Amino acid sequence: MKKYLSIFNISFQQEFAYRINFIMWRVRNVLQIFLVFFLWDAVFKDPGRVVFGYNREGILTYVLGLIIVKSFVFSSKSMDVAGEISRGELSNYLVKPVSYFKYWITRDLSSKSLNLSFAFFETLFLFLILKPSFFIQTDPILLIFFLLSLILAFSLFSLLLFIVSAITFWMPEAGWGAHFLISIISVEFMSGALFPLDILPHFLQRIVNYTPFPYMVFFPMQVYLGKILDSAAVKGILISGLWILVLYFIMTLVWRKGLKVYEAYGR
Amino acid sequence: MKLMADKLVNQLSVVRHWLGKLLRSLKLPQPQKLKVSFVLSFCKRLFYYFRIWILMSKNSFMTVLSRKKILFLFLLGKILRFSFFTAFIYFLVLGAKGLSGYTKEQVVFFFLTFSLIDILSQFLFREVYRFRSLVVTGDLDLVLTKPVSTLFRVLMGGADVIDFITIPPLLFAVCYVGNLFQPSYLQIFLYILLFFDGFLVALAFHIAVLALGILTLEIDHSIMIYRDLVALGKLPIDIYREPLRGILTFIFPVAIMVSLPAKALMGLVSLQGVFLSLTSAVLTFFVSLRFWNFALKKYTSASS
Repeated sequence: MKKYLSIFNISFQQEFAYRINFIMWRVRNVLQIFLVFFLWDAVFKDPGRVVFGYNREGILTYVLGLIIVKSFVFSSKSMDVAGEISRGELSNYLVKPVSYFKYWITRDLSSKSLNLSFAFFETLFLFLILKPSFFIQTDPILLIFFLLSLILAFSLFSLLLFIVSAITFWMPEAGWGAHFLISIISVEFMSGALFPLDILPHFLQRIVNYTPFPYMVFFPMQVYLGKILDSAAVKGILISGLWILVLYFIMTLVWRKGLKVYEAYGR
Repeated sequence: MKLMADKLVNQLSVVRHWLGKLLRSLKLPQPQKLKVSFVLSFCKRLFYYFRIWILMSKNSFMTVLSRKKILFLFLLGKILRFSFFTAFIYFLVLGAKGLSGYTKEQVVFFFLTFSLIDILSQFLFREVYRFRSLVVTGDLDLVLTKPVSTLFRVLMGGADVIDFITIPPLLFAVCYVGNLFQPSYLQIFLYILLFFDGFLVALAFHIAVLALGILTLEIDHSIMIYRDLVALGKLPIDIYREPLRGILTFIFPVAIMVSLPAKALMGLVSLQGVFLSLTSAVLTFFVSLRFWNFALKKYTSASS
């Protein structure tokens, strides 16, 4: 446990070594929210309007909530795993008395804690300059479900990153391409990170719901907004848990096979 | 009559002054006198640069084409991103029955125009994304000593084949959706004119990012911030509140770059607007050139 605490500390300090990089990255997050915010602001100009089952307060809470949820779920360092495999740097960790997965999860947690603290200030800043109507959930049960769904979302995304990174065992140059296609494009659109998925036609929603993506952003936000209650929330959490088991099984299988073909190129 | 002629001569001398500055930065012969020999040598120089560009692009294309799996992954990713966003806009505007007074076809056309300018600038200026390593390692020295404009080399040195593949279908989509508005010849002309005007703004932004790269050694985030800012033009600029709308029109002219061409095709732009847009695009371009020249003088050739 002590060594992982040290990894957490070192990783946290590393983020401060490249301060401008980090600040620019956060500025980008805020800029991306502007597009979505003003888009919905234009749709809901009339405060009494209800579209896709959302009122103005609900949709603007969804948009601002994205900053917090995305910074917790998607802030991650594990995307670098693909590069480490292709450059043969994975060997350094295989000979050390640390679990490679725990090492990266610790680094992810460090990145998430830093991003999350900045996200709170950014949300506050946007709240002050945009003055949106905001919904605050007060039901303690729903808040517990929301926190639980966030932890599950974080696990889902981490497992997905490890599975995608493992592609590099067989295609050393395809790591970034695979992440671009799956971890960035597919996740951004199918998780609800850009828009709430219920604006899509029913048949598309049904297709997306058969994937683990909606449980990364859309489901936690729906729980927070109180659009998914009691048994439906429990059902959603159970499905998230099931997806975690499935992805964990795939990840262990892929990594076991991958390590057998790993030849430490470049070392 | 004489007064008008004098005015015209004055204006022409201003244009010649600026043209001279532009040519100096491109290391092209200066227009001492607008003679046939000058025009010929200008064309010869342009052809020389065109041949270099073809050569560099061929090399860049061959590098990417040799890794077909990666090409496939990125191409698929770009197509998916484009399709997802188009579907999102379509279903949103369909469900909301319009957006700030625009129909779903109009909103999709705004997005298509944005995509075309964005893809075209990425196709031509992809080398900007690789500029940082040249500055950090000091390898920019090798570019500076070559008998080619440094700006040309670091801006257009590596055309992107993935973007090149996506241009024809996108162009078809722009023509198809644009045709739905049944535009007049004047509207089509203004669209093309403002499209190139917008492209000039995109060029200016890329030059500014390069200049910032020399001064701050930071490119990756600057270019991504530029892209995030420009992405605000995916939708009609009218949806934004003041002061953001003013910033996107006058400080970072994203409105000129993306929204105005689309509006021109829909017949929603006045001739004054066209004139203002052309003026500010040319101004932005020259400011970025001056910024580049300023930054280049600060290059220290560290670590070379």
